[in-house]
Amino acid sequence: MEKKILFKYIDDPNQVDIDTYISHGGYKALEKVLKSMQPAQVIDEVKKSGLRGRGGAGFPAGMKWSFIPKDSPKPRYLVCNADESEPGTCKDRVLMERDPHGIVEGMAIAAFAIGSHQAYIYIRGEFVYPARMMEQAIASAYGKGMLGKNIFGSGYDLDMAVHTGGGAYICGEETALLNSLEGERGMSRIRPPFPAIEGLYACPTVVNNVETLASVPLIINNGAEWYASMGTEKSKGSKIFSLSGHVKRPGNYELEMGTPLSYLINDLGGGMLDGYQLKAIIPGGSSTPFLLPNQIDTPLDYESIAAAGSMLGSGAVIVIGDKTCMVWVIDRLIHFYKHESCGKCTPCREGTGWLLQLISRIEHGEGKPGDLEKIDSICDNIFGRTICPLGDAAVMPIQSALKLFRDEFQYHIDHKKCLVKSEFEFK
Amino acid sequence: MADGGNNITLTIDGREITVPKGTTVLEAAKKMGIEIPTFCWHPKLKPVGACRICYVEIEKMPKLQVSCATECMPGMVVHTDTEKVKQGRKAILEFILINHPLDCPTCDKGGECDLQDNTFAHGIDDSRFDFNKYRFIKDRKSTFDDVRLGPEIIRNQNRCILCYKCVRANKEIFGEYDLGVFQRGNLTEIDAAPGQQVDSLYSGNLPEICPVGALTNTDWRYKVRVWKAQQVKSICGYCADGCNLTLWKRRDKIFRSSSRRNDEIDEGWICDIGRYGYQIANAENRLTTPLIKKGNKQVTSTWDEAIGLIARKFKEIKDKKGGVCIGGMISPTLDLASLYAFSKYFRTVLHSNNVDFRNDYKMLAEKYGDTFGKMASLEFKIADIEKSDLILVIGSNLIKEHPIVNLRVRKTVTKFGASLYTLNPFATKSGDISTDEIIFNAGTLEALINGICVSLISQKLNASDVDVSNFGSMANPNTVSSASKITGISEERINALAMALGKAKNITLIVGEYIKASPLRELLSIALNNLTIIAGINKKGQIGFLYKSANSKGAEKLGVIPYPSPNLIGKMKEIWKYYPDSNGLAADRMIRAAKKEEMDAMFVIGANPIWAYPDGQFAKDGIEKLDFLVVADLFESETTEKADVVLPLSSWAEYAGDFINLEGRLQHFSAAIKPQNGSLPAFDIIGRITVEMDKPIFESVEQLNNEIKLLLAVLPEKAAQSLKLGEVKYSEEKISPDFSIPLFVTDDLHHYGHHTKEAKSLAAFGSEPYAEISPAMAEKLQLENTEMLRIESEVGKIILPVRISEILDNNVVVISRNFATTPVNILQMRKKRIDRVKLSKVED
Repeated sequence: MEKKILFKYIDDPNQVDIDTYISHGGYKALEKVLKSMQPAQVIDEVKKSGLRGRGGAGFPAGMKWSFIPKDSPKPRYLVCNADESEPGTCKDRVLMERDPHGIVEGMAIAAFAIGSHQAYIYIRGEFVYPARMMEQAIASAYGKGMLGKNIFGSGYDLDMAVHTGGGAYICGEETALLNSLEGERGMSRIRPPFPAIEGLYACPTVVNNVETLASVPLIINNGAEWYASMGTEKSKGSKIFSLSGHVKRPGNYELEMGTPLSYLINDLGGGMLDGYQLKAIIPGGSSTPFLLPNQIDTPLDYESIAAAGSMLGSGAVIVIGDKTCMVWVIDRLIHFYKHESCGKCTPCREGTGWLLQLISRIEHGEGKPGDLEKIDSICDNIFGRTICPLGDAAVMPIQSALKLFRDEFQYHIDHKKCLVKSEFEFK
Repeated sequence: MADGGNNITLTIDGREITVPKGTTVLEAAKKMGIEIPTFCWHPKLKPVGACRICYVEIEKMPKLQVSCATECMPGMVVHTDTEKVKQGRKAILEFILINHPLDCPTCDKGGECDLQDNTFAHGIDDSRFDFNKYRFIKDRKSTFDDVRLGPEIIRNQNRCILCYKCVRANKEIFGEYDLGVFQRGNLTEIDAAPGQQVDSLYSGNLPEICPVGALTNTDWRYKVRVWKAQQVKSICGYCADGCNLTLWKRRDKIFRSSSRRNDEIDEGWICDIGRYGYQIANAENRLTTPLIKKGNKQVTSTWDEAIGLIARKFKEIKDKKGGVCIGGMISPTLDLASLYAFSKYFRTVLHSNNVDFRNDYKMLAEKYGDTFGKMASLEFKIADIEKSDLILVIGSNLIKEHPIVNLRVRKTVTKFGASLYTLNPFATKSGDISTDEIIFNAGTLEALINGICVSLISQKLNASDVDVSNFGSMANPNTVSSASKITGISEERINALAMALGKAKNITLIVGEYIKASPLRELLSIALNNLTIIAGINKKGQIGFLYKSANSKGAEKLGVIPYPSPNLIGKMKEIWKYYPDSNGLAADRMIRAAKKEEMDAMFVIGANPIWAYPDGQFAKDGIEKLDFLVVADLFESETTEKADVVLPLSSWAEYAGDFINLEGRLQHFSAAIKPQNGSLPAFDIIGRITVEMDKPIFESVEQLNNEIKLLLAVLPEKAAQSLKLGEVKYSEEKISPDFSIPLFVTDDLHHYGHHTKEAKSLAAFGSEPYAEISPAMAEKLQLENTEMLRIESEVGKIILPVRISEILDNNVVVISRNFATTPVNILQMRKKRIDRVKLSKVED
């Protein structure tokens, strides 16, 4: 069901103001942590809550924090990943624009938990307004003594800064983000070493998504049990879903984990646009495999979506109506991934370019016999063989489409016209 | 399984191997002789796992793994040759080749291309790619694919496989940021940073490590197919680092030189001077015949006539006035045989001890046994720099003097975390990695060193077994605060450096040219000796008073100086059955003697004192007064102009020989080509003269080499370093208010000595003289880049275009001396420790 905890004050235009935020109980969690808790206790609390990373991979947040070596003499860094660029995803943007202090507070708590005195929020370059809101929030938090030296008289110091990206999807990948933050070219790094051991400036670093960090103050205020009481066995709490596509009411909706997909699409989203039948659903951002109409009752949680053959990802649900040609969809998607491939490793760099050329010619009715087999093989040569997940992200929707809608591709090749829009003739 | 935590045992292709922790699967496989293809892997660079050709299968891991970036783990079971691995490699090659132009017939890398080799070994002969290949064209008007990135580097992006080795090495190893990656995905390009050229001193390495023909040297392009060139083992003949080179030749012409990796010295990197410097051998304007001065003109002659004249004249002068009236200067870039033959000729035939290889040092000492000489003979190993946790560089523009030692220092700092302290009168390129870059007031180094010594003592960080109770009375200044006042370096920084020296476990001290070339070198050496004793550097680390030229150390070891060590003299006497009694004159004393008309003749080989001696007017006056001057050189020079006989000399690439590098390492080089243009190697010239004088000093080069072996076997005297503290009193220099700005004359970054301007590629980096000043100074003088600057000293005046330096930040002017048009040394005075000038703008 809809569960507005992150979104509790999302419609209050004054929530961006620090005084309003405080009057709504803001910065209480930070005060509690700094005055009465040890870093290890904070990590335990977040572990107990079952909070999982909201950026896409769903890695348990508390566990990630506990990987920071306790005895390293190097400085540690907390980095908030606000490079939200997965097509279909627009949840972090709303949080930054409308509840920036929730993120600042969450970052401060996380920084304390890992023993960091410098936190960065890396914001997608196109997000000019969200970046401004974050900068304002950080400045007013400094003004109130909630950042800077000796916060709440606890002796704990923390500096926080906004860094905006240059506009590359790859910089949402955590190691590429760290390179970009260092002033290097945004290209992913080979792992190991993982960021927890050698991250920003080769120092121990935690990179968390905006939504993950924004959830932290709620867990501290209300307790891990309260958070863990929501959701399913392995997917706790609530999550924001960005609904888009051929539905009547697209938008961001916060749901308890495990809520059926049909509730989001039909009840909150108002169902399909008039004259459209449901054809396919992308459940977790453009890189996740398609679900079919008969899977519409799948609960929205990590394990159920995985069992259905896809991934919950960032929670970007893209609904595709029956008048849509899947070849066209894939052509659009591979264009995006080809454009965003950073160029570091061979399979992704060369493979996405070649896939685009092949899919594009099929889309335009110039496909040749054997093209689909070639695409299958190229996808196999990319999947699991790249440095970072961008390669996988590029081929998963293609592999899924070729499995579920292969006839549409074959029709384009065989008949030089579209199966879906049969009235349309290629020149 | 793990053994003691430091070794790891794993299985590769069914065989067990034990390797140190941290070894990658690729390295372990290489050790076992298992070949795994690579493109982006390089033994000296951090792995990036970009090309992904080095896939292996590791049990319990579902995906293919890149062996270059996977660390060996205990019990790992690796397969390098399964069907899955082969399929993975084929797929990578297919990807790499889809947009590769396959223009092998016109590509210079053909025959030594990793892409050719790996495709041959692991690829398929067909492609499933049926689109037009993408072509990078920089300039729409141009139909060519080649883009010039720097004076010597051409890029063809179509061929690039994006292994990023060039960009990585440039950053990681050379500390340069002039090359970058642009665009994204399969449009990614390697290019020069905006507004910059790829023209660092190490830029020539970039084409060498390029696995394909994407980066090529203009030097080598389109000249020879690599499989038709012969490779000759050589050693660089410029600086004293002693990099190992391969010279590539065909039909008695050299086409390129490349690194012949020696991990003890160069680790596979060479500087551009070593890379392009060979071009002097095939340069067009080499001297081709001996010249003899008739009247006021030098006219072409023959070897027989010239040798006959030299023999006759030298004999005449020796018989009439004695050998002491003949002086000999020889370049320390010549081989051991030539240096030795020169010394033997002077001592046993001319009965003169006037031989010297130090032709550009002011005011050399007149007797054996100075502290400077002792310090310079200490052992130093380039590879041992890596053991240090603190490196102290004093009075050296390291990248300029020792480009490859500089790389080892960089590596030790950036890779192993050592701290670097540099003490110089102006900023150098080492500044970016220095813990503290100390720029002291020119001419106050001994005060600074005293300050550091005093600070060590007062912080109780001095070596415990040294009696320092009297040091206060031996030193002036003897407090940190007075040293701070004199040198302009704050007390905190002096104390911090002393603290770091005291705490360091292993120190490398590198002392450079500014000390060795200074007339106060003895005082400075004593000061440095004090520092090494008080800080205990002699017991924890190494001291490098590094020699400058390819064979300076050899010249020193063979005693090509007026006053060799008694042991060496003893050995010479034993071999030669003779040794002259007369006192010898050092290079600058010879010039002084000539000026006073106490010297009649001089024999100069490979040196150019009129150009190099740091008092141009003095050198010219002296040499012009000589009755008879013989100069052997590759090219016409300022000194050959004055000669009565000019002899064409061979470069080191034209004969076989040996150099001793700054570490004391004897290295043999083979002859790449025959002596060019009728030139002769120096030992041959000397041999012919002695035959003509009826006093042959050797019958064969073997005989020379055997005698050299005997001399080199003479052990340096025990306890070479004096362990006694010496007196160091700083006395303030009188500075004329008119001429107050310190002048430093140096080699241009891409030049070395007076020959390299004849190497076309090096001239492409710079062929015009310039004066470097700081931005603040430029502003004060209202000068923009390339505007003309007048530089006046008490004795001379020159006008040069100005270059506003990116790194200089104090009131000095630095001038490169390598260019023919400007005799920079006319500004210098031999008795001044620091040459000082005044600067003014030249109005149009």
